[in-house]
Amino acid sequence: MSSSKKRPILGVDELSVSFQTSLGEVLAADEVSFRLHEDETLALVGETGCGKSVVASSILQLLPKNAEVHGQVVFEGRDILRSDEREMSHIRGSKIAVIFQNPSMSLNPIIRVGEQVAEPLQVHRGIPRHRSVQMALDHLNRMGLRGDTAIMYPFQFSGGMNQRVMIATSMILSPQIIIADEPTKGLDDALARDVVSEVMKIRDSSGAALLLITHDLQMARDVSDRVAVMYCGQIVEMGSRDDIFENPQHPYTAALLNCLPEKGFQPIPGSSPSMIHSPDGCKFHPRCQKRFERCRLRPPMEVLAGTKGASERQVRCWLR
Amino acid sequence: MLASLKAVGIGKVYESGLIFKSQKTILQNISLELEEGQTLGLMGVSGSGKTTLGKILAGLERPTAGRVLFGGKDIQRLHKKEFTLFRRQVQMVFQDPEGSLNPRKSIEEAIHDVLGLLKIPKGEWRERSLDLLETMGLSDELLCRYPGQISGGQNQRVALGRVLLLNPRFMILDEPTSALDLSVQAQMLSLLKDLQRDRGLGYLLISHQSDVVKYMAHEIFILEEGRMKPMS
Repeated sequence: MSSSKKRPILGVDELSVSFQTSLGEVLAADEVSFRLHEDETLALVGETGCGKSVVASSILQLLPKNAEVHGQVVFEGRDILRSDEREMSHIRGSKIAVIFQNPSMSLNPIIRVGEQVAEPLQVHRGIPRHRSVQMALDHLNRMGLRGDTAIMYPFQFSGGMNQRVMIATSMILSPQIIIADEPTKGLDDALARDVVSEVMKIRDSSGAALLLITHDLQMARDVSDRVAVMYCGQIVEMGSRDDIFENPQHPYTAALLNCLPEKGFQPIPGSSPSMIHSPDGCKFHPRCQKRFERCRLRPPMEVLAGTKGASERQVRCWLR
Repeated sequence: MLASLKAVGIGKVYESGLIFKSQKTILQNISLELEEGQTLGLMGVSGSGKTTLGKILAGLERPTAGRVLFGGKDIQRLHKKEFTLFRRQVQMVFQDPEGSLNPRKSIEEAIHDVLGLLKIPKGEWRERSLDLLETMGLSDELLCRYPGQISGGQNQRVALGRVLLLNPRFMILDEPTSALDLSVQAQMLSLLKDLQRDRGLGYLLISHQSDVVKYMAHEIFILEEGRMKPMS
């Protein structure tokens, strides 16, 4: 199916999330909007603390109680931000699954991995324990974890193997959407490559849509169909992977790509702004080499002329 | 004359167990030489002994075999004054920037601790602290903040700045950018290169990030099963 014909299955509209802290209000997500289409991988990329994970947690209502959330998250025709905990429990795992960044911390250290992978089948589908463990074993086999792996404990596995267990647990109910939150963070190069290959296998075999949240641009380039670039709580540019990597339109995207090894690690001047006292207007303008007077005003997210559907190109910059 | 830091035939064996003792050989017969103005890259998988070798070179751990020579002298045989000088001139920067700073002390207090050790008159502390932040490309508003209130990259630059106050000649950089974002990593690498150019510092750069090591190092070695070999 060509990307422009894919149907959106998740719509995030003007999502804003703020937290009240003793130092002031932290605006972690600022009018974030995007569509996730069926059978596609959308990478939400940005640096640590830019609000990527807050967006993922908002979708699944996993934010702490002091979070104030505005906007809409439309799934199956309903705004799931208004869903109660019972409905969300049903959606989490069975329809929208999440792979967290630290597999060793996300798994229960005193329960065998086979039991942990089987648990969603027992809870959501009511499948008896013996049968569900057998299904979990088949699933682990497909993930390349063969032999007695199902009766082993997480501490007996490497970080990469535990990440595969996490992926198997997320996938066992065949969810429509998988949210992978920094699946390679903290892993060394070889393990990160393993995890990327697992994520690619999932994308190819399951048909689920993948929302990949990462600061790893190489991974985003290897795995995604589309990329959304976040800076200081806002999406500043969104488009197809090739457009973003080969022809960045927002000065921040261009500057971030220049930090890659193949571009010679060219640093971006200045440092990321505080989310409490973020700059007025364009949030990148104090660090931008191309800034001009108008950048003191807040730029809108605009669709570039001649682009539409899943290949739509959006940029939040007065230069466009 | 250029100073050098040299490891000759370094070996390290760890023992474990109280009754049934077992031994694990981490390093075997490792020799290397760091020179001022040069960067030696050291790569290897997790657990290959890179950090152990770095700590031995910095005098933070003792080898079970071999010697570390600083200016031609075995560091285990240095007099107290000479050893203090060695400790100042060979510094180590660790991977976890927040762990390098006391979470209960503000950035200003953390810098003042080092100035106090160097017996700098108190009247100069404020000015020296501001100079340090400027060299590191940090804003002076950071002085009143605590390590938990600033980013990982800012913490790493403060930790590096504190080390530089001691005016070292060699730095053991243990995965200095692996916890940092891409743009902060680029800033940090650029800063390290500038410092090397301006001050002639010698670096041992320990990292599993091959792109970073290739960008920074004049010579690269790989540590594998306790032995070191040049990267082809």
